[in-house]
Parts: sequence; structure tokens; C-alpha cells
Amino acid sequence: MTALSRPWNRLSLAGKIILPLVAVLIALNITLVVLWMSGLLPFLVQAILDTLGANIAILRFLLAATIILLITVPVAFMNIFFEMKLIAFVNLRIGPNRIGPWGTLASVIHGLKVLAKEDFTPRGVDVPVFTLAPAVVYLASVMTLLVVPFAPGLHGYDMDIGLLYFFAISGLGVVGLMMAGWSSFNKYSLLGGLRAAAGMISYELPLILAVMGIVLLSGTLNLNTIVQNQSGSFLDWYIFQQPLGALIFFIAATAEGSRPPFDLTEADSEIVAGFATEYSGMRFGFFFFAEYVNMFILSAMTAVLFLGGWNAPLDLAPIANALGIATPIDIALDPGSMGPGLLWLVLLAPPLIVGGLTAVIWMLKSDWSIIVSAIVAFVLFNLLVGGGVMLLLAMGIDWVMGLVWFLGKTIGLSLFFVLMRATLPRVRIDQLMGFAWKWLVPAALVNIFVTAAAIVVLHEIGRPL
Amino acid sequence: MELPQTVPFLDWRWDDLIFLVLAGTMLGSALLVVVGRDIIRSGLFMVLAFGALAGLYALMGATLVAAAQVLVYLGAISVLILFAIMLTQSKAGPVRLVFHSQAWAAAIAAIVIGGLLIASVLLTSWPLAAAEPIVQTARDVAALMFGDYVLAFEVISVLLLAAVVGGIFLARRDDIPDPSDPATRIEDGSASRVTGTPGVLGGPARPAEKP
Repeated sequence: MTALSRPWNRLSLAGKIILPLVAVLIALNITLVVLWMSGLLPFLVQAILDTLGANIAILRFLLAATIILLITVPVAFMNIFFEMKLIAFVNLRIGPNRIGPWGTLASVIHGLKVLAKEDFTPRGVDVPVFTLAPAVVYLASVMTLLVVPFAPGLHGYDMDIGLLYFFAISGLGVVGLMMAGWSSFNKYSLLGGLRAAAGMISYELPLILAVMGIVLLSGTLNLNTIVQNQSGSFLDWYIFQQPLGALIFFIAATAEGSRPPFDLTEADSEIVAGFATEYSGMRFGFFFFAEYVNMFILSAMTAVLFLGGWNAPLDLAPIANALGIATPIDIALDPGSMGPGLLWLVLLAPPLIVGGLTAVIWMLKSDWSIIVSAIVAFVLFNLLVGGGVMLLLAMGIDWVMGLVWFLGKTIGLSLFFVLMRATLPRVRIDQLMGFAWKWLVPAALVNIFVTAAAIVVLHEIGRPL
Repeated sequence: MELPQTVPFLDWRWDDLIFLVLAGTMLGSALLVVVGRDIIRSGLFMVLAFGALAGLYALMGATLVAAAQVLVYLGAISVLILFAIMLTQSKAGPVRLVFHSQAWAAAIAAIVIGGLLIASVLLTSWPLAAAEPIVQTARDVAALMFGDYVLAFEVISVLLLAAVVGGIFLARRDDIPDPSDPATRIEDGSASRVTGTPGVLGGPARPAEKP
């Protein structure tokens, strides 16, 4: 037994994972070859396809869940990079600039670093609760992505009560924070957890009340319908009908995502690192992963509710029509109709264009060698073709354009969150709670009453919204 | 959410399988709430039971009720109970069954409720196939709540408001500290009030001391 266990113990963790996987892969290959040789493979494939086809809704749900889980990774990395780079600019530093162009891959390396760190469980913690807490926090923020309308027709699930679902699920994060704080067996963790829970519950109130004005105006809880109601020019966005609601929502969202200046849960000068004090490795990473995903989701919800979601600020179709471009552009190219000419185009056009560009660049920049000009010309050609295809897609398929606008608004709001972290000092805990209960909640109630009164008055004078 | 066809290899309906899983989770975690020895874990199992109940509501097509269940019971009431446990429980006392002292009363109540439930299940005639599934939208519920039942709704609202005001009145401290007196002044409200009672803060049960 020792002959086997000694080399096994010498393997690193990655090796211990990879080696069984290789064994499984080899076994699978042998099985496949045997099945193929014996002629059973087509029947088996047919049976699997039939089973999958009979359960297509479950498949679709699993696919949506997987995609939403995977989306969180680039989203979090993007926000971490913004945070590092933008705060560096505010501080007159350079920020990450080594890994990837402009340091864009630095957050990926940060993620790998956290993964490789030791995952330590201190003595005295309540192990199952301690282990599950980061997962609860992470899932509570990720599951809300299911109802976010990214673009026309691009959403996880078009729920009739999407807005209610969003608030219900995002409120579950509090349970995870309290689990983390309590199970850590540490005074600072417990204080941090209680603080986080108190803050999040207090700010959930104005967050929900601020949106009630929009529900009154649009008469629905469906996020897709709310976005469609804001179509037209940017003057139709709800931020102009609900300025107070938008302000309250944004402030409450800052506190709900525990972003500075309301990040009392991790005030290191007061309570070490709050609920995350005893955490290390990827379990610690999951809390902050969840925080960055939460920042994206709260920006997305602000964009969806108040800034028109995937609607363009100006309806571009009349302008394009005036210029003689029919929208959406018909991109149904028929490659077959070109015959052998297509082959010649594919074969000859790229080298000819690259060659031409090389000549032009070499003549303009005489101090570059011809190799350097060729490389620059190749990159330029790819950028031009790629950009052209993207533009054509954006003009031709409405969800591409919608996604661009949605992501633009969301990332803009995320950058604003980061800028707030770079500029504003942290408030005190009693100021935080007092602000929520004494100012935001009454203001949100006033907003609801004024909106309802305005709707009734406009209805009475015969000009309903 | 409509679920299709059958579970592969079992030939059950998906609804039945999900119902079994959710109902099993709910009953199991509800049992663990009352027999558990760790009161915080009891609270967390209660969260799980509420979540499974919300899943059952969603399975029956009442998504609005399910969302309200998650929002109110999981997001607010459970968190409030956890708060109360964390702020009041001292782990210095002997570890024993949480609800031990009321076991007899609980047993009698459970037997009575169980009998009532069994009787009501047996006496009800269950329709085997619903004629038309009722699709309840938020709009329908709102129309009922603010149309036919608006008086009951308002009475309940006033009752809850009275309860909130009464609770604040009862919890109000009699000796409100004089702001000018430095001995009793509290710098930052809730934080120092919490840190001021270090003996109360519990955390999980202390591990057995090794000699």
C-alpha cells in the first residue's frame, strides 16, 4: 500500500485533481472505442438525444444557470480592474501595468492568487455554517441575475414579478453575512456580521420604497415591460419622472452593496475586517467576488429602472432612415451566389489589402522596417474588418445594439461607484443608520405620495401618463 | 414555470419529484429546528424550512406568494430572530435541548394539531384534476386586496402600526442619558451599545478545552 500512497502524497493538490481526471478520460476513451467497434454507439447517442429532447425545459434552465454563473467571473474581474486602475489614477499612481495590456489581466492573477492561498479553518468555528456562509452570500447575489433584462429577448427568465423576485433574493445575503459573523467564533466577526445585517436591512427599506414610484407609473413588476415603457428618446427615462426616487435608490444601493462611503461592514480601523476576519483563501475571495458581482447587479438595476435599460438615448432609426439606410440592415448575405468569385475574394483580398496597407505605412513611416509595417498593417486590417463586422451586427441585430447600450450604462454606473470609493470618506455607523431611517425612508414615502397624487391629478384633468 | 414530461429513467413527473424533494427538505429541517441542541443552527434550519415552503408555493404556481414568503419570512423575520438570538444568547450555560422545558406542552399541542390536520385531510374531498389552473398575477391580487378586502387590509395595517409603536414604547430606556454629562454620553449609538455588553456576545459553543 505504501508503494502507492507515497507517490500519491507527494503530489500537489492540482496533481491530485488532475491524475484521477486523466484516468477517467482514458477509461472514457476506451469505452468509446469499444462502443464504436461493436456498433452500439449510434443507438446510445440516439437514446441520449431523445432523453435530452424530452426534457428540453430542464436543459434550458440548466444552461441559463450555467451561463449566469459563468458571467459573474468576467464581471467581477472587470470591476476589480476598474477599482485598481481608476483609484490609482485618482491617487496619481499608475496602477497595474505589468500583466496584459494596461494591466488588464492583473485581476485574473489576483483571482488565481486567492485560489492558491491556504484555505484555513480556525479552531472553534462552527464548521458547516462557516463553510456555507460564503456560498449563501455569493448565490444570493448571483441568483438575481436571472431576471435582469440584458437586451431585447436576452434574459434568464421573463418573470411576471421580476422586481419582487430581485428584492426577495438579494435580501437573502443578510442571512449569509450573519452566518459568517456568528460562526467565526470571533468578537469582531460577530460585530461585523450584526453591523452588516443591520445596515442591509435598514437600507432595503428605502431601496424598495424608492422603486414603488416606478411601479405606480408603469403598472407592472415585470422588468422587461418596465424597460419597454421607457423606449423612445432619453426624455422618456424614469429618472426624469422620478428624480427623487432615482437618488434614493442609488444611495440605498450603495449601502446595500456595502460600497464606500457606506462600507461599515469591513471598516478595518474599527472591526478588523468585519464578518470576513477569520476567512482566508477562496472562502474569503467569495465574499469579495459576491461584492463585485453585487456592484454590477445594482448598477444594472439602476440602469434598468431609471436609465432606460437597453434603450438607446435617441431613437437612431429615423436618423438612419433620413440618411437612406433601411433599419434593421439586412445582413442576409448569400455567399453561394458569388460562385468561384467568393473563393478568390477569401484567398486574395486579405493579402492584397494587408500588402497595400504595408506599403502605405512603410512609405509614411520611413524609419520602420518593412516587417514592422507589415505587422502593424496586419493588426490594422484585422481591427478594421472586425470593427466593420461588429458594426454591421450592431445595426442589423437589435439585441447586439441593446446589449451595447445596457452594458455601457451599467459600466458607467459601476465606474461611478468606484469613483465614490476613491473620493468620499467612510461615514460612522450611527450616521449610516440615522440617515436611512430619518431621511431616506421619509423621502421615499413622500416620493410615493407625490407620484400617486400626480397620477390621480393627471388622470382627473384628462391627460393620463 | 411549466415543467414538462417525465424524469428520465424514473417515469415520474418532474413536479412530483420536486415536490418530494421540497416537502422532504421542509419537514426534515422543521424537525431539526425543534430537536437541535444549538439554537443558532435551529434558526438556520428554520430559514431552510421557510425557503422550501417558498419553493412549494412557486411549484403550485403562486409565484407572488413565494416571493412574498422569501421577502418577508426569509429576508426579514428569520433575520430578526437570528439577531435576537445573537444579541441575547449566552453560551456559558449548559448545553441541552433548547425546547426541553416545554416538551410536554409541545407534545400535547403537536398531537392536537396532528389530529386536526389528519381529520381535515380525510374529510376534504380532493378533486383529482383541476378544471382550469388559476393564474394569479400580481394585478389580480392587488385588485382583490385594495378592492373587496380593503377594510380588512387597512385594519391589519393599523394593528401592525400599533404593534410597532407599542414595541418601541416598551423597549424605550427610562434613563435617557444626558448629552451634556460626559459620564453617560454615548459617542456612536448602536456600536458602543453593542460593545458595551461583552458578556452577552456568544459565538458558537466554545470547543472542549484540551488539557
